[in-house]
Amino acid sequence: MKALFLSLVIALAADVPLDNPAEEARAQALMRELRCVACENEPVSQSAAPIAEDMRTRIREMVGEGSTDQEVRDWFESRYGEFVLFRPKGNNLSGMLLWLGPFLLLAIGGLIGFLTARRKRTVVDQIESEDV
Amino acid sequence: MIEAGHFAAFLALGAALAQTIFGLKGDRRWAGMSAVTGFGLMAFSFLTLVHAFAVSDFSLLLVANNSHTLKPMLYKIAGTWGNHEGSMALWALVTFAFGAAAAALMKTGRVNFEAHALGVQGFLTAGAMGYLLFASSPYLRLDPAPFQGAGLNPLLQDPALSFHPPMLYLGYVGYSFVFALAAAGMMDGRIDRVWAKEARRWSLAAFVPLTLGIALGSYWAYYELGWGGWWFWDPVENASLMPWLIGAALLHSVIVTEKRENFAAWTALLSVLAFLFSIMGAFLVRSGVLTSVHAFAVDPERGTILLFGLMVYGVLALGLFVWRGPSLKGAKPWLIVSREGALMANNIVLIVAALTVLLGTLFPLMAEAAGRTMSVGEPYFRLTFVPILAVLLVLLPVAQNWAWGKADLKQWTRWAIAGAALVAVFAALGIGIWKISLGAAFGLALGVWLIGGALWELRRRAVTLKRVFRVSPRVWGMTLAHMGIGLFIIGAVIETTERYETTVALAEGGSGEAAGWTLTLEDVRSIEGPNWYADKAVLTAVKGGVTTVLQPMKRYYPAARMPTTETAIFKTGTGDLYAALGEQRVVDGQARWVFRVYFNPLIDFVYFGVLLIGLGGCLSMVKVKR
Repeated sequence: MKALFLSLVIALAADVPLDNPAEEARAQALMRELRCVACENEPVSQSAAPIAEDMRTRIREMVGEGSTDQEVRDWFESRYGEFVLFRPKGNNLSGMLLWLGPFLLLAIGGLIGFLTARRKRTVVDQIESEDV
Repeated sequence: MIEAGHFAAFLALGAALAQTIFGLKGDRRWAGMSAVTGFGLMAFSFLTLVHAFAVSDFSLLLVANNSHTLKPMLYKIAGTWGNHEGSMALWALVTFAFGAAAAALMKTGRVNFEAHALGVQGFLTAGAMGYLLFASSPYLRLDPAPFQGAGLNPLLQDPALSFHPPMLYLGYVGYSFVFALAAAGMMDGRIDRVWAKEARRWSLAAFVPLTLGIALGSYWAYYELGWGGWWFWDPVENASLMPWLIGAALLHSVIVTEKRENFAAWTALLSVLAFLFSIMGAFLVRSGVLTSVHAFAVDPERGTILLFGLMVYGVLALGLFVWRGPSLKGAKPWLIVSREGALMANNIVLIVAALTVLLGTLFPLMAEAAGRTMSVGEPYFRLTFVPILAVLLVLLPVAQNWAWGKADLKQWTRWAIAGAALVAVFAALGIGIWKISLGAAFGLALGVWLIGGALWELRRRAVTLKRVFRVSPRVWGMTLAHMGIGLFIIGAVIETTERYETTVALAEGGSGEAAGWTLTLEDVRSIEGPNWYADKAVLTAVKGGVTTVLQPMKRYYPAARMPTTETAIFKTGTGDLYAALGEQRVVDGQARWVFRVYFNPLIDFVYFGVLLIGLGGCLSMVKVKR
């Protein structure tokens, strides 16, 4: 059992960081926002699955070749579908709803609050709060 | 023994029903007696379950499925609530406990109102008991009894996670009594000062354990999962964050109701929502509708029943709200620039933040129903949730000294100058000296702004420095909680933006560099624990004159056939040097061990900040005699 377990976890290649620290940082940021396709809910940066390692290698490769962040995201999306993007796309209707929703809610909430407060009267006492 | 416990649970259900009937009839005394009796019966019943786990009675299905003789005693006992049925038994017990505590502690002088509150609590308790006994029974026997149990999910074999569920449930279920108070207040037609005093105390009694429960869970994820992070925007985490945000909004709104008898309907609505979001959290976690890295005991069918219960409570409460809410009007006038206005802004932002979490958590689910698979993760919340809350936090120190009714803005130029100066100083220091990003520098400035603002407000209320220790515990509570948020922001921003993360592969005797530390792998040895065996690495870390030994482990639990990571953490004073042992690999023809090494700067600020928030909440509960 023990031997079986150990043999399961021996793999062949290791994660080799890029030489350029700025590129490596960019690659790591991308690894945190791409989802491992074989795992429950983990970014590829965290997963020990072999596919996640391949994905990490590919990200480093692309960053090393000078691809922009968006090109890397697009490449993975075309390959695995939008499921891999932890940063959902905003260029369609539902994406816009998702991204703008919170700010829309804030605007609506603010408007309701403003209107509630505005119908108040003119004579108002000022009372210092002594306790909370 | 278990049969006695099972029988006691049925009697407890009877007591909950009696509590409901007496309570709704207005009989405070008998409703209270029923609550206390029910609590006693359910406590006994729960103890029989704990006992079965402690002695590894595998003739009980629940124990056979979730325990193992080789587990240490603490985890045998914690195993009682480390599974679906047992955790529901705990939920029911805590619901009784709040009813019994309320029966003993409530002293509003309004007999009818108190009876109604106990009655509603009895109704919620009966719901939990009915679910426990008829849909999710932990009392089932197994014949023949196996010789050994299947073990608990090894990830849960951890001290922090033993106490995480009880804490979280104290919070979730605590809101059941806040819900009961709101329902009773609406029946009574009075959501006023007396009501608010009571509701405020119980909201704090729920908020503090919820806060600490979330922190424990986060701390566990930090050191146990081996990923170096402390919050992953995982659906299960989000499920607990939503009631927390609603609860935080409630804590502020109830102040307006207590001091000015305004926002009455709104406070009642939030009281109802806090509990509904708590059940929804339980539903999301328990039903398995969301994919999550730590969905432990899931069962879709029971999830459906929970969802049904959520809808029944929701419809009843909101119906009551629609019926009685309009009569709850605040009388005292106020302008936008006033304490009321500031607290309203606080509520709007916190509710929008909670809804943002809800949107991000449920959106993939809705997309799936529409035939698309997609993910929403950390980048989404970083770009929506974070800036929305940041706006509120920037305004907090400015607005927290505003007067009720109308505030004067004479000092706003001073605040603006102070704020701008702070940002300028931190931007210069951050970029020039500390070499951090501009965003991180803003985050630091915001944290300092909050801490300074909280202290400034304490000083203002105390008038002179000598009187600082004579201000009321509530003012201290507010100060500590707001300072806690400041510390949390500093920790969260610095940890998230400046975290260093790398992988090193070391052969035994070999050395490598990470985060400025030289790591030497002395050896990797096999060791055995009570119900696991492990590879333990001994890493010597040297930086400057400091030397430390890190011993990360990779454990394997044969009973559950699962590996876990045991990280090694060294606190350097400015952060955590954090190592997790990975797999063994062949690199350059040599067998090497892979380590994930992180440096997490100021991570303790995150937890210390949350602790301060909890401590502030405790202080605010202290009664002051006048």
